[in-house]
Amino acid sequence: MRLAPRYRLDLVEEVDADVRAMQAEMERRGFSPAEARRGAIRRLVPTGEVIQRLQERHAPPLRRWLRAEGRGDRVTRLGIGAAALLGGAVGVIATARPALSGTAMVLSWAIVIVFALLVANLAWVASRLWLHGDLRAWQHQRLWARHAGLVVTAVALGALGASWEGYLGLAGNGHTDSPVPLAWETAGTMAYFAATGLAAATFGLFGWLSIAPRLIADEEIERRIADFFARRRSAPTLRD
Amino acid sequence: MIVMTQITLSKRINELLVLAVLDSGAAHGYQIALSVEERTAGAFSFQHGTLYPILHRLEAEGRVRGEWHGVGRRRKTYEITDAGRADLASGAAELERQFRALLGLLRGTHAA
Repeated sequence: MRLAPRYRLDLVEEVDADVRAMQAEMERRGFSPAEARRGAIRRLVPTGEVIQRLQERHAPPLRRWLRAEGRGDRVTRLGIGAAALLGGAVGVIATARPALSGTAMVLSWAIVIVFALLVANLAWVASRLWLHGDLRAWQHQRLWARHAGLVVTAVALGALGASWEGYLGLAGNGHTDSPVPLAWETAGTMAYFAATGLAAATFGLFGWLSIAPRLIADEEIERRIADFFARRRSAPTLRD
Repeated sequence: MIVMTQITLSKRINELLVLAVLDSGAAHGYQIALSVEERTAGAFSFQHGTLYPILHRLEAEGRVRGEWHGVGRRRKTYEITDAGRADLASGAAELERQFRALLGLLRGTHAA
């Protein structure tokens, strides 16, 4: 079932309680336990098309609206792509520094790309949570691993850029035609790299922090769903 | 003029069946399903969990009110709201008019 965890928990608990109560009621009316259970499951356990209707019923409002308009998945893809492009554009503007050249320019662009990927990752998580309504624990872990990797990469690129510029300054291979004294220019470029790397990493961390409450709440409910099925190994076919 | 597809007619009948049962008192989902079967002598029954999308839609639209009871093993009870009662009355009257017209046609007499 592709339902938000809270609806999934409500549904499995509601159906389970009803199936058990109906089975007991039918046994009281003279049916054998097996017949009573079969009858209760046949009447009450949602299958195929009914599950689809429940998914539609409990889909996030935005998802329902997009589905009604007939362009749900395309909008999601376009949204994530647009967010990544916008993030990249912001990154380009924020890191524009014409004095850079060669390796430093490559590192600067790499930070821009990492920033855009962080934006795309956050947009993807947000679309799963607020558009599809369902982000499973394994997806959450995979996205967090990717996000953490990007945050670390941003910091590493910033540090690498700063170190590279520092090395060039010390080696005297900097921009010797610049009117600014070499030490100041070296310090400025090092600070620029450190700041852009840290800024991208901070953005990534705070972005994830902003969705953390919903992720924590969903994870708690997922744990309750797992506990529910663990307690009722013989429960009807309500797993995924 | 009656313009109603098969899908909307059966959907409407299902809603009214649920509302009619709940008009007699609050009930759990399984009680609604059994009661519909009993009170219609098996002419209508909910299969494969079809009851739940109907109940959840009625709840979302404020025609029934769902309430959870218990801690640990929770159970949900539904009761009809004033909006649901009004809908039941108007829906029953509308269905009666439509079926009278249909039966009148099928039996070769004029509808009332």
